[in-house]
Formats: sequence, C-alpha cells, structure tokens
Amino acid sequence: MTTTDQSPDQPAHVEAKAAILLVLMGALIVAFVLYVMYARGVFEPTQRLFLETDNSEGVAPGMDLTFAGFPIGRVSQVELSTDGKVRILIDVPSKDAKWLRMSSVFTLERSLVGETRLRAYSGVLTDPPLPAGSVRTVLRGDVSEQIPRMVASARELLENLVNITSPGSHVDATLANVDTITGRMAGRYGLLGGALGGDVEAKKMLETLDRVNALIARADQRVFGKHGVVDDSQDAIRQLNGLLKDARTTLQKVDSVLVEAQGVAANARTATSDLAPLRGEVEASLRKVNRLVDEINRKWPFAHDTEIKLP
Amino acid sequence: MRSPSILATNPRLWGARAGRYLRSWGYMIHLGAVALVMAFTPSTWNRANRLSTSRYIYASTWQVLPWFTVLTALIGLVVIRIVLVTARSYGLSSFALEMLVRVLVLELIPLSAAMFAALRSSMAFDAAALGLARSGLPTAAAGAEAVRELRRDLVPQVLANAFAVLSLAMTSGAIVLLLAYLNVYGLSPWGLTEYTRTVARIFDPIVTIGFALKTILFGLAVALVPIAAILELQRYPRRLASSVQPGALRLLFVLLLIEAGSLAIKYI
Repeated sequence: MTTTDQSPDQPAHVEAKAAILLVLMGALIVAFVLYVMYARGVFEPTQRLFLETDNSEGVAPGMDLTFAGFPIGRVSQVELSTDGKVRILIDVPSKDAKWLRMSSVFTLERSLVGETRLRAYSGVLTDPPLPAGSVRTVLRGDVSEQIPRMVASARELLENLVNITSPGSHVDATLANVDTITGRMAGRYGLLGGALGGDVEAKKMLETLDRVNALIARADQRVFGKHGVVDDSQDAIRQLNGLLKDARTTLQKVDSVLVEAQGVAANARTATSDLAPLRGEVEASLRKVNRLVDEINRKWPFAHDTEIKLP
Repeated sequence: MRSPSILATNPRLWGARAGRYLRSWGYMIHLGAVALVMAFTPSTWNRANRLSTSRYIYASTWQVLPWFTVLTALIGLVVIRIVLVTARSYGLSSFALEMLVRVLVLELIPLSAAMFAALRSSMAFDAAALGLARSGLPTAAAGAEAVRELRRDLVPQVLANAFAVLSLAMTSGAIVLLLAYLNVYGLSPWGLTEYTRTVARIFDPIVTIGFALKTILFGLAVALVPIAAILELQRYPRRLASSVQPGALRLLFVLLLIEAGSLAIKYI
C-alpha cells in the first residue's frame, strides 16, 4: 500500500495492482500448465500397447492412434528392440481401451501429403478385449514405397506401347495389312477381292464358279436325263426283281425236299424204337445161354476154366 | 565517436577491440548474475525495494497489458483468418490450427512481447539515465549519480521487465488460443476434445519447457542488456555523444539469438 515514502506522482494502490497482476499471472501459468497436463493425459489412467514394425519412418511421440477416425491412444515412445524391430509404445486411455479387441488389426499408413496415420480396426467387437501390455504387429501401407515400382511398371508399359506403335512393329504391319485389305474390298469385286488378294484372283474365282455351274448342269443331264444313270439303275433293279423271284421258287423246292427228309427221319426214329425190345430179347437169350453154360460147367468136372465164351 | 565497424579500424587494434567487446559481454553476464542472486536473497526484499518493484511492475505491465492484449488479439485475429481461409481453400484445414498455435503462440507473441517491453520500459529508463548523464553536471558526477540510481533500482527493474515480458506473452497467448478455437469451431463446445488433443500434440514436454525458457530468457535479456549498456556507458563517457540508443542493437541481437536457438532446438 502507498505510504509516506510515496512520491507525489506515484499512482494509487500501486502495490495492490502489482500484487493482483502477480496473482493473475501465477494463476494463468498454473492453469495453462494444468490444462496442458490434462490434455497430455497425465491425470488419466492408461494402458500400454506395444506395436512392432520394421520401419518407424513418420512415427513420432505424440502421434494419435485412431479408431474409426477418433483418436483413442497416443504414441509415447518409439524405440528399437533387441531384434532390430521398431517398437512403438502407445498409451491408450482406459475408457477407450474397449475399442481394442484380440482380433484388432493395426495399420501404419504413409501418404504422399500429410502426416503418417496409425489406425486400429476392430472387426468383431464381441471378441475378448485386448489385455494391457499386448504386443501386436503393424501392417504398413506406404504409398511412397510403391512409387518406384509403379514408375518402373509404367515405364515398361510405355516402352511396350512405344514398341507396339513404332513404325515396322506388328501392330503397324497389321494395320497396314488391314488397310490393304480394306483397299481391295473397296475395289470392283468387294469382299471377294479382299479375301482373295485382288481383282484378278476374284475374276478367276468367278470364272471357276461359272465353270462349276456348267459342270453341274452337265452332270444333271447325265444323271437325271434320258438314258442317264438313274434310268440304267431302274433297269438293273427290275432285273434284280426277276432274279429274286427265281430264287424264291428254288427255295420252295428246297422246302419240299426238306419235308421228304423229315419223313425219312421219322422212319428212322420208328426203327430205333423197335431196337429196344429186340435188345431185351437178345439179352434174355444170352442169360439163358449163360445159365446153360454154367450148368454144363457144373456137370463137366474136369473143366476148371469158368470163363464163358460167348458165341 | 565509436567507429562504425571493426573493419574500418587499424588491424593492429583488432585484438584490443575484440577484448573490449568480450569484456563488455562479460560485464553484462556478471550484472545479470548479480541481479539474480540479489533477487533470491531475502534481505533484498525490504519495504523500499518492494515498493520500487511494484512501481516498475505497474509501469511496465499494468499500464501496457490491456492495449497490448487488444492489439495482439486484433493482429492475431487477422492472421488466424488469413491462415484458416488459405488452409481451407487448399483442403488443409486440419493443419491450420496446429500451424496457428505454433507460429503465433510459440514464436510471434513472445518475440513481440519482448520487443514491446524493451521499447516501453527498458529504453525509457535508459533515456532517463542518459538524460541525467548528459545534464549540466560534470561527467564524473553525473555518471556516479546514474550508477547509484541504477544500482538501487537494478533488481526491481530486472524483475519487473522480466515479469512484463512473461505477462504480456502469457496473456496474449491465452487470448490468441481462445480466438483460434472460436474461429475454427465457432461457439460450439464440441470441438473442445479435438482442440485439446491438438494443444497436447503441440505442447510436448520439450516444446513446453522450450517455450517457458525462451520467455524467461527474453525477459532477462530485455531487463539486463539495456541496463548493462547504460552502466557500462558511465565507464566510457566519450560514447555519450553517440546518437545510438545504448544496448539497443545488442538487445536486438540477443533476442534474435534466443529465438534462433529456440527454433533450432525445436525443429532441427
């Protein structure tokens, strides 16, 4: 407060005003620091996620990890692991961790213009949630890495195109041929001239056709005309009919011969049936002879030979 | 008269001039160290010093703050509009906010606050001391009087000027942050989350510490360089005839050096 040592031109309440300023500035600085700390997630519980990739280009601490366009995490550190891979350490606030599932896929996309983007895709939100401290591999989609390959392919394509369209190339020759053919087609004999290679050939072709026509007319005369091939054939068919009639008569005669042969065969069967009683009679006579011989043997004591000698 | 350039002097005197130049810088740094030590010594803060500090704070900050803030808000608004419209026309509006905060809040506002504080208070004080030195008093007596005044007011003056730079930069920075939000998102509160994330991305620990350090160094430079120059002037009375404000060029040089150093650390 102003006191006795205050000079006459001293403004009023200078100490109070200075104190107000000091307090206000102090409050402003503290508020700003607290706001920045809040913004950087110092007061928020987080869980750690490790992403692995082979190239950390474009990844910087403070970068966002987005899910469906919403930032759900922040890169806190990028380091090189012992096996030479890049480890990206990400802090995901606990309230946003529900968007990360076991089946989540992480991508790192670099575009030609603009910053690198780190994205998470969770297709199945019913999967179990991603536990804290998980390690996942990042899929890289780098447009600029594909440019050299694309340029090489484009150059190859252009070279091929140049080869195709250059004078003396196949396409050029084909087009020249097409031009020749269409030029011929425009001639007197049209398509025929184009197909055969010129008017002279087309003319020959037409002459040939005329000759073929004349030939067909003559053939018609020979085949279907008077005393033609068809007439001769009809005569031949008639003669064939006569021959067939003769053949039929001959067959009838053969039939009668066969009937007679059947009669002979029947007689032979009757004779065969008479043979059985005859055979019985012979067998009975033989048995009688046998008995007679046995009887003579009994009565003939000197004879030891019991063999019966049939007559 | 001071020679215009070291190249205009005899090459045999180059060594002597370089030595004097280095001594001058050394004196300035020594004075700064003394002022800081005195500022952190409790016995310095007697009633007279407190009142003196209050007076300087009042002069360098209270009187300037409102219209400096209005001025930076207006200029900031124009820059924000230009950047936003241009960024939108190129489809780069997502980068506009970050660029605005980086350019305006981190670089331009602290620098302009430092320049402003230097013009408003330090140079004014120098002019008073110069006037005293150029008064009808004999050179030695005037010099002694000026040195006595400066010594008495050294710590309050240094603190007040440093505080002025800090206050002007912080207040204007906060206002410009608010204006940037309003221009990008309008009066809707729904952009706050995204805005907070952008701010978080910009103010990583290195940038924040760099920003604080830069502002404090600006404050110290503005407070110290002109005072050191005027005190040194008393030792070389021949230079009083110079029409150049003592320390002005050196202050500009130091400010640019700090700014360049800060930029190099942050972006290289």
